[in-house]
Amino acid sequence: MAIPLTLSVNGEAYTVAAEPADTLLDVLRDKLRLTGTKKGCNVGDCGACTILVDGEAMNSCLLLASEMQGKSITTIEGLAKDGKLTPVQKAFVEEGGIQCGFCTPGMVMSATALLNTNPDPSDDEIKEALSGNMCRCTGYTGILRSVKRYKRHSGECTCKQEEPASKDAGKPKYDSVGVSIPRVDAADKVTGRATYTADVSLPNMLYGKILGSPIAHGRVKRIDTSKAEALPGVVLVITGADVTDTMYGVSPARYDEHVLAKEKVRHVGDEVAAVAAIDEKTAEKALTLIEVEYEELPAVFDPMTAIADGAPQLHDQYKNNVNTHVDHTFGDIEKGFAESHHVREETFTGNNVYQSPMEPHASVATWDNDGTLVLYSSTQVPHYVQYMMAHVLHIPLGKVRVIRPTVGGGFGGKAATSPLDLCAAILSQKTGRPVKMIYSREEMFHYGRGRHKQHMKFKLGVDRDGKIKAFKSEIHLDGGAYSSFGVATAYYAGSVVPTLYHFPAYKFDGYRMMTNKPACGAMRGHGVPQPRFAFECLLNMVADDLGIDPIEIRRRNAMTPNTLTVNEMDVGSCEFRATLDATCNKSSWNEKYGELPPGKGIGVGSGGFVSGAGYCIYRGQVQLSHEKPREHFQKRSIFPHANAIVKISEDGMAAVLLIGAAEIGQGSDTVLTQMCAESLGIPVSRMRIRSEDSDISPLDLGAYSSRVTLMAGHAVSRAAVDVVDKMKPYAAKLLDCQEEDVEARNGKMFINPKRDNPSRDRKGADNCCSDSAEAARCKGAAHDNPNRNRKGADTTIDDSRTIPWEEVARQYFNDNGPLVGTGCYKPPDGLGGDYKGSTVGTSPAYSFGTSVCELSVDLETGKVKVERFTDYHDCGTPINPQAVHGQVEGAIVMGASETIMEDVQFDEKGQILNPNLHGYLQMTIKDAPEIFSGIVDSYEPRGPFGAKEIGEGSTLPVLGAVAHAIANATGVWIKDLPITPEKILKGLKCVPGPGTMHER
Amino acid sequence: MYVPDIKLHNATTLEEAGGTLARYAPSVRLLAGGTDLLVDLKTGRATYDHLVSINRIETLRGLDENANELRIGALTTVTQLGSAPVVRERFSPLLDATSKMAAPQIRNVATVGGNIAAAVPCADLPPILTAMNASVALWLSGDERTVPLHDFFTGPRETILRDGELLTAALVPKPPPGFGATYARFGMREGNTIAVAAVAASLLLDSAGTVQDARIILGAVAPIPKMVKEAGDALIGQKADDDSFGAAADIAMKAAEPISDVRGSADFRRELVAVLTKRALTTARDRAKETL
Repeated sequence: MAIPLTLSVNGEAYTVAAEPADTLLDVLRDKLRLTGTKKGCNVGDCGACTILVDGEAMNSCLLLASEMQGKSITTIEGLAKDGKLTPVQKAFVEEGGIQCGFCTPGMVMSATALLNTNPDPSDDEIKEALSGNMCRCTGYTGILRSVKRYKRHSGECTCKQEEPASKDAGKPKYDSVGVSIPRVDAADKVTGRATYTADVSLPNMLYGKILGSPIAHGRVKRIDTSKAEALPGVVLVITGADVTDTMYGVSPARYDEHVLAKEKVRHVGDEVAAVAAIDEKTAEKALTLIEVEYEELPAVFDPMTAIADGAPQLHDQYKNNVNTHVDHTFGDIEKGFAESHHVREETFTGNNVYQSPMEPHASVATWDNDGTLVLYSSTQVPHYVQYMMAHVLHIPLGKVRVIRPTVGGGFGGKAATSPLDLCAAILSQKTGRPVKMIYSREEMFHYGRGRHKQHMKFKLGVDRDGKIKAFKSEIHLDGGAYSSFGVATAYYAGSVVPTLYHFPAYKFDGYRMMTNKPACGAMRGHGVPQPRFAFECLLNMVADDLGIDPIEIRRRNAMTPNTLTVNEMDVGSCEFRATLDATCNKSSWNEKYGELPPGKGIGVGSGGFVSGAGYCIYRGQVQLSHEKPREHFQKRSIFPHANAIVKISEDGMAAVLLIGAAEIGQGSDTVLTQMCAESLGIPVSRMRIRSEDSDISPLDLGAYSSRVTLMAGHAVSRAAVDVVDKMKPYAAKLLDCQEEDVEARNGKMFINPKRDNPSRDRKGADNCCSDSAEAARCKGAAHDNPNRNRKGADTTIDDSRTIPWEEVARQYFNDNGPLVGTGCYKPPDGLGGDYKGSTVGTSPAYSFGTSVCELSVDLETGKVKVERFTDYHDCGTPINPQAVHGQVEGAIVMGASETIMEDVQFDEKGQILNPNLHGYLQMTIKDAPEIFSGIVDSYEPRGPFGAKEIGEGSTLPVLGAVAHAIANATGVWIKDLPITPEKILKGLKCVPGPGTMHER
Repeated sequence: MYVPDIKLHNATTLEEAGGTLARYAPSVRLLAGGTDLLVDLKTGRATYDHLVSINRIETLRGLDENANELRIGALTTVTQLGSAPVVRERFSPLLDATSKMAAPQIRNVATVGGNIAAAVPCADLPPILTAMNASVALWLSGDERTVPLHDFFTGPRETILRDGELLTAALVPKPPPGFGATYARFGMREGNTIAVAAVAASLLLDSAGTVQDARIILGAVAPIPKMVKEAGDALIGQKADDDSFGAAADIAMKAAEPISDVRGSADFRRELVAVLTKRALTTARDRAKETL
């Protein structure tokens, strides 16, 4: 029974009615609507709910509100006073201590508690104080910098980052691009104002929950929902019988999931029924009252067993449980091995890695009176969600409005339509009320979609000098119970391996297998990190076999610019060798490698990734997918993948960028704002971005395949150029000059009569340009240049011949009405080869990077401490260097964490043994290494302002570098991820033999 | 993931708390810090109809040192214990546990009494307290009895506490000269971990460096914090050196009864016990020598 409670929160007294067992977190969020305090795990593992009680940091999820009476509670909303950030908050904003922002309130509270009692903490004291706050984005590096910056009040931080060297004076200099401005959403995130999906509350809203299967494989014989329906507060219970027969998924050829089980369940947690009730607690209780009778079927959990004849079959359509088979051969593989001086074959095994974003998935659905579905979703891919909702619910795409509130990290885990999206929409449709659904941390693990565990058999042949002659890989991917992204994952496992080194001959055999576990999906580096780990390890082994330095063997095989790879990937800019040289120098590799004492190790790994998938996940044009069968594949984009509108306010003082690109913490809102401002010729301070609502912004495919900077960046810049082109006649009139002599920059329009660079100024270029692949390969030719209004950095502006930008915009509005520009981007036509699966791995551009890892191993316990990382990346032009470093730092910690500790573990019945953040181990701030992140000078002609990707590629060098460093420290190669202390101890006991690196 | 409906009783005196505990046994549980209890309730690992909050019983808070011992009130938080000057100066081996346990947000709430009475096999305070010869004060209906801590635990999450009985304090005798103790634990990562294996060790040395008394207590590798008497006895009369430590570590390893779980196999835990025992004894010896 509810009792009145009086709580002192942020200096104000609140009296609320609450249950005695309500936690402080729930009362703060649900009763006081102070939603800045986040629910990340609900059991004290993550620290996102940290608040201060009488000045001490505590997890509000582990406090009963009724025990807090008489205490002084401070939440994130209580820090900033009179609209002014505290120094700690300011430091987080300025030092890149924020990405997705979900951990930020808790992190700031812990930092505040520390600094209130210890204004001058050591690094170790900072790390200890923040050790109960998990972050998945920043690698803790920016956070540590932030607290240190506060500590020093002013002055420079010792964490080193390098601004890109600006050696090429011939390139245009920019005002807003290439500058480390703070994130545009940082202030909202650091004050708790940012609204995540779970923070959305609509009038008359219900709460939904999904019942998952308790068994791994079985037939649903009978469901009795009567007891659940009888529970007071329960409004609706639905089962498979109440939902459409239309299946969904990710790859159109393999839609194999029902909204709720129709006949079979295929993994523990598979969705069986859903409940809507007046609150979440009631919905949760109702789940326990639903009676389901199953006929349990034999289950299979191992992909190698699943492929055998007689193994339990998950789906009728996938014979021998083979979901996808890839059979690629390029070049003469037998000849390559025959001509090799040295051939080495090794077997590697990956691990079950989960994205584990700090924000749990959430959806809120409501239906407008005109039959429009409004779906708030914590998603990376609003458009694909929109598309899939239309498909499953049989309504036109235009009747689906997807709102993407602030998203607390994705890493691929939110790159598909979730059961929450579907069930919330259906429950809302049937009840006529808004429905909110949020996954618990445990449910997130059961939903899955993490990295595929890959079983890899690799064979590498090299000549006397270590140059690759042939490479063969056979991979079995453990896909779990449904296809999800798996078809693409299987192809990616092969296709992005040859973009890093020259392979004269390459064979890839891939099998994506179905097993009775949660479906695997796309995770940061999609399909590539484990093969990359294995290849980098094998290359290091081969280097050792031949007595060649591991960095040197990479130099000898390194990809070069303007190359069509053996599998017909079109590599443009490539500064891979520069990353090798820079990392080698910066890490003092030559002085350390082979010179360290036992227990100390140094290792190297490289990697690279696509800058956006060359093709859309579904074929054809945007349409209700029931209208007609899938269109035949064509080697060109039917519709633009990224689209933008720039709308200028009527007084000319503000520009609003409308774009559907999904900000999920990676910083896309910020870099797109920067590119837009640059192309408009106004300061960033006059920009706003609206990227959260499909009713406001045009289609964008979303945040996956590292596509946003390049693709959305082009769309944004083209829309901005469109605006400036419309203003030019007015400016010319006011300035009394020719239109083509007008330039816009820094809030002014002026005459620049010395414009003499027509090659960079493609007059009349379509604002939705698709470069032909042929033209694109001819580097140096004019590319669509978003910056074509710009002449050069050294332009001197004659004040008497300038006019305020806003004045021109006003004149335009007076005569024409709204000043709006549009722009879009299609990937170049003709990307990829003509073989089956050739589309996967195609991209307008490729990134490259190299990491050196230094660590120590306790040779008695096997424990690894990753101490230092040195990384250089070729990401083209960095639009925001701080954001680039933030991606690298986050990727290094995530990658190192998955190399040594992360693994979703299952028992023999398919139950997850560690579906929580104390069992599924991720690095804390105390585990994170010191990181040096550098950017090599590079310019990608196909990218806006020369930019390409950073987010996923920076993960790829990490796994191999850590594994190599462990081998270097111990003399033992562990080829089975994660490299746990236990495996290291076991390895150390084995007498060095085949598979060891060098004997001590 | 909600705390189920439950009746919460607020006790302001020991009598009240004890009476409520006795009345509703066995479906009743004390609530102090609640950092373990609320997780158990939310995840359904435990269910109770009644909770008795003792957070308003002020006499259970704080530290009290007399000539012979330190009395640690059951409601003292781990942070308070770790930051108390008396602990830092004269009972510093406790810091090995307080500094490594969980994370600050938990340590600011979790109580010493809870860490002991919950009887979770991987709890961090019981091994080091036992190594320091601590006892616990148990209150029942106005009477207080004192029990050596190593006799307190009977199984995982089980103790000798009777219905209506409360743990009111931990009592740690003042370390004599020649005494050194430490707590060595292994977690799977650097921050915010649960112990996979842990060893607390104490040594009492004479001026010649010969072991007069020794205790070795294993954490997280047995149903209860396990004192390996034979390992300690084997050291008595020996030189405190690598040889004797190695022999004791071997005995400790064989005495461990670990399980295999997500954090590691039983075999791995046994190996850790041997390594941690040697390391703990070495630190204990060095600390003991500093007091001579």
